[in-house]
Amino acid sequence: MSIERIDPELCTGCGICVNSCPMDVIRMDEKGEKAIIKYPEECMCCDYCELDCPVDAIYVSPEKYAPLMVSWC
Amino acid sequence: MSQARVVETDVLVIGGGIAGCFAAIKAKEQGLDVTIVDKAYAGKSGSSIAAGGWWMVFNPEWGHDHDASMEDVTVNGEYLNNRDWDEIILKEAWATYRDLVSWGVEFPVASDKIEGYWDTYFTGPRAARAPNLPWGIVPLRHRKTSPVLRTQAEKVGIKIVDRIMITDLLKQDGKMVGAVGFSYDTGDLHVFKAKATITSGGNNCFRSPGFHTACLTGDAEAMAYRAGAEITGKEFPDTHFNLANYPAWKSNAELYAAYMYFTDAEGESINGTVGFDLFMEFAVHAGRGPVIWDLDAAAPGDVEAMREYVRKRANPVEAERIGLDYTRGGKYPCIGGSAAGVSSQQTSGVWVVDTKCATSLPGLYAAGDSCGARVCGASHRGPGFGVTGAAVTGKRAGLGAAEYALQAEKPVTDEKELARLKELIYAPAQRRSGFSPRWVTQVLQNTMIPYFILYIKHGERLQAALTIVEFMRDHLVPKLMAKDPHELRLTHETANMVLNAEMILRASLFRTESRGLHYREDYPRRDDPTWLAWTKVKKKQGRMNILKEPVPREWWPDLFKPYQQRYPERFPRE
Amino acid sequence: MSSENALETDVLVIGGGIAGCFAAIKAKEQGLDVTIVDKAYAGKSGASIAAQIFWMVFNPEWTDNFDELMDTFVKSGEYINNRDWCEVILKDSLAIYQDMVAWGVEFHPDWSECIHMFPPFTGIRPKFRKAAPVLRKQAEKVGVKIIDRVMCTDLLKQDGKIVGAIGFSYDTGDLYVFKAKATVLTAGGSSYKPPQFAMRSITGDGEGMAYRAGAEITGKEFLTTFPTIASYPLWGRVTWGYLNLFPRFATDGEGNRALPFSDYLEPGPEGFRREWKLNWEFLVHAGRGPILWDLTPVTDDDIKEAQRAETKSGYRAIEHERIGLDLNQRGKIPIAGGPAGYSQAGQAGVWVHDTKCTTSLPGLYAAGDCGGTRYNGSFLTNPGLGTSGSAVTGRRAGGAAAEYALQVEKPVIAKEEIGRLKKLVYASAERKSGFSPRWVTQLLQNTMMPYFILYIRHGERLQAALTMVEFLRDHLVPKLTAKDPHELRLAHETKNMVLSAEMMLRSSLFRTESRGLHYREDYPRRDDPTWLAWTKVKDERGRMKVSREPVPKEWWPDLSKPYEERYDLRFPGEFVE
Repeated sequence: MSIERIDPELCTGCGICVNSCPMDVIRMDEKGEKAIIKYPEECMCCDYCELDCPVDAIYVSPEKYAPLMVSWC
Repeated sequence: MSQARVVETDVLVIGGGIAGCFAAIKAKEQGLDVTIVDKAYAGKSGSSIAAGGWWMVFNPEWGHDHDASMEDVTVNGEYLNNRDWDEIILKEAWATYRDLVSWGVEFPVASDKIEGYWDTYFTGPRAARAPNLPWGIVPLRHRKTSPVLRTQAEKVGIKIVDRIMITDLLKQDGKMVGAVGFSYDTGDLHVFKAKATITSGGNNCFRSPGFHTACLTGDAEAMAYRAGAEITGKEFPDTHFNLANYPAWKSNAELYAAYMYFTDAEGESINGTVGFDLFMEFAVHAGRGPVIWDLDAAAPGDVEAMREYVRKRANPVEAERIGLDYTRGGKYPCIGGSAAGVSSQQTSGVWVVDTKCATSLPGLYAAGDSCGARVCGASHRGPGFGVTGAAVTGKRAGLGAAEYALQAEKPVTDEKELARLKELIYAPAQRRSGFSPRWVTQVLQNTMIPYFILYIKHGERLQAALTIVEFMRDHLVPKLMAKDPHELRLTHETANMVLNAEMILRASLFRTESRGLHYREDYPRRDDPTWLAWTKVKKKQGRMNILKEPVPREWWPDLFKPYQQRYPERFPRE
Repeated sequence: MSSENALETDVLVIGGGIAGCFAAIKAKEQGLDVTIVDKAYAGKSGASIAAQIFWMVFNPEWTDNFDELMDTFVKSGEYINNRDWCEVILKDSLAIYQDMVAWGVEFHPDWSECIHMFPPFTGIRPKFRKAAPVLRKQAEKVGVKIIDRVMCTDLLKQDGKIVGAIGFSYDTGDLYVFKAKATVLTAGGSSYKPPQFAMRSITGDGEGMAYRAGAEITGKEFLTTFPTIASYPLWGRVTWGYLNLFPRFATDGEGNRALPFSDYLEPGPEGFRREWKLNWEFLVHAGRGPILWDLTPVTDDDIKEAQRAETKSGYRAIEHERIGLDLNQRGKIPIAGGPAGYSQAGQAGVWVHDTKCTTSLPGLYAAGDCGGTRYNGSFLTNPGLGTSGSAVTGRRAGGAAAEYALQVEKPVIAKEEIGRLKKLVYASAERKSGFSPRWVTQLLQNTMMPYFILYIRHGERLQAALTMVEFLRDHLVPKLTAKDPHELRLAHETKNMVLSAEMMLRSSLFRTESRGLHYREDYPRRDDPTWLAWTKVKDERGRMKVSREPVPKEWWPDLSKPYEERYDLRFPGEFVE
């Protein structure tokens, strides 16, 4: 699961979480108003976005499943 | 956990799928006591339950052409097919079909309509055209065939023991006299003493995603190998693909046949044949991936054909649950390795020395996917042969085993040997420390599944993978541990998969040419007549020995004909 | 996607962690124009943001004994430390610490508790996530320019000198060309995006670009190893603090005590005397796994102590709650083995010639986790040396780069060179077909991460892994595809990780002995004096060449002393009856 949600009701669009994420998982939405989970594949569960969010809008789950091994992709 | 339950029987059948049920029923007809033992629930386990494809039939009255059929299988199998077996399968297919009808297997169409069925089925402009089959195929209903076989087996008085994992064959004075295993419910030891034994335990698979045969872990080949039998054809892989977003979901696999249009990433068509040869792997390896199932290019006729297919055959949930709506177009990336670890059905398996499915071990008969009858040679000839071949080899094995059992004495088993096998069974459960079978399986998958190991082969890479597999064999497998009987099953399965991986790698390294589904980058052409031969692996003084068995000269192609005429299929750059 | 941003600066610092910020601030003191470029957000990226365990400070007033510390360095590094650097790290550390205090870095308030946490070294404990962000602020305050979210892919070279770097923004896809008089590489170590520890952004980018520019890379055979919680490997970062406090409660599968370091060495004072060694890997390899963290014998006082320490370190209870970890339950928690593959700080990295962080390429300086300064020798001597070492080497690199920049002309770079590198930046994005960087990364992880490749090594297995990695290098990496700038970053990271894996495998194959964290089953002992030497890999006409650089004789151990006295840690099978 890794990063599970950014609550759009709570998110103020401050963008702190975007900078807290070293993996480029979070981006601002198209209007630049809310943070969104854009690339969840790269989430490493570091929890930094949740730690830094001033309004507690983010939840990171400690679980993350590795993709299945396939022959090519 | 180790209370022993002893069953004595005349004929023991290990694995209760299509082959196993046909074998048991045939043996029972000879008036013997017959027992089926299955790792899961006979009739619902292995690949038989998933057989929703086609039953091959051959009936000259319907214009099926014997010579054309033989020619078709031979050219497609690239001269490694065993023609004796092909003759038998053509000849006996009809009887197996009649058996099914009389036992109550349901078919979606009446038998008098089956002629040319493929063409009426896949009608779209881009339906798979490969068949033009000189024989007939009868569509099967998904999950409706093998349970009926079980019912029939029960009806004729065959004993069925479910949920027992057989780990090893019993041997006495050089003869096979049954098998040992355990219940993964109770942990109890089960000893089967038999006059004759049939392995119909299915194929091997590295628990790969999307091909729903992850319970098949090469148990039959592994236990036969350990008992000293020869295993053939491991270098020929089965290839299946799946949709990239949901690699584990089945996603209406045969819908692809109704609309067989794949492109590379640039939109260039890369269609292969319906037998699912290596065309996707070649495109991916050339850097042309991802491979796309391109529904955007579907014409109204294609959509109609798919609708027809879904109406007749599909389980709508399969497509709905992954948001696959063929009516709305879309480009679906495909991933490979859905059947990773599976060797070509009817080619790989325990080497049989005659057309009665006798193996090199007296008292042991092999049938179905674990029977090395080499029916299809170097490439699987598409629809029908897998299931029908399982039934025919099953019947043959059942008869062969029964004839043998009628002449054999009641076996006396050596208590020392039993004790040795029992110790092997429970060793992982005794260990309090070691390696988890799930982790070792994962390491095996990671080593074997990449396309550049299993499908696009090269000596250096095969050798590298073999080094890792040997390490697993020598260092991890002997220290597998199990916390409960369920995990005990996992440990034995893992050991069997590792053994199968070694067979695949060694056979692939040994065959220094390319042929059919076996492709070596470092030997990219067929090599006649050197490799008009089968491979066999066999245990010799604890090591895996590999041998070459020539194809009889009378089955060779005309070597005066140019290569291009002998082999219409081209490998890359040929 | 390729609007072009050309920036000129005197000193370019690639990577804005502890080393990078110290380098930039130091260079700025010389009155130069200084720019930091960071792959994520300087002050919050890389390993620096996670630094909270310990910060080594050598302070004679805290009763530190210089000779004892040097001795510890050398013994635990097994004589392949660069002693010049050991001295510099010790001597510069106090000034570094004083700077940080002045800039407002928050440390654990109760010094008396932590200065002796890892004897014989002394030091302090920064609050979790409270050091690097302050360093960024300080850099901004003194006028250092910071450019975030730009991934540098290659160094710019002109007439044999390094004159900046090229990269791209993964937000916009824009090209960035940095022309600089001097360049400092502080881009962190390398790993294979491990399923543990918050270090998946650290992909050997610094070493990768230096290698491609012709620099020498050293110490790749030495890796650190970290344990994690088996059920939640990625969450292990926040729980391993607990593990630190109770290493004595670890057992093997049979219930025997399983210290995280050598079986044959008595543990130091209660707690955690040395960095994790390979002992758990040895036990697992011997079939004695799984390693369990057995809390059955933990007392109420132990728990209170642990909770107190955890609270102070800045963790929140939720980090344990979220995975159902409750010390009061006294459970047995399986520990998964360290597939980190994280290169060893203060050892592996771009080879530096002197204590100014000069590399073999004029104009290029390397510091922090990608500086091949070798003060740690064959394993991370003590917690806290990574962080304070980064600060010290960073500052040295910043000073030296500034000196150099003051003497050189403004660089002129040939258009063709920029054109060539630009093509490389976008090659994956231009490709419409090929291989996905995520899948290739997965393959690389699968190949490298099993313990029997990374930690318990054997020539045959290393060679097998190398065959796979060469295939990835030759066949998959040149065909990586990227659908958008985010994936373009992934493609470059994948390429760097594959290169890093090749370096690691070749160095490991080359070092035909065992030493510190490098263990070869087929060469299970130290081999003095042959291997009182460092390894270096270097590109030579497109091929990777490995060479040996001897440790100066004056730093050798006394070879007349018996082996057992030279080396107090035992590898499996050494001196056991």
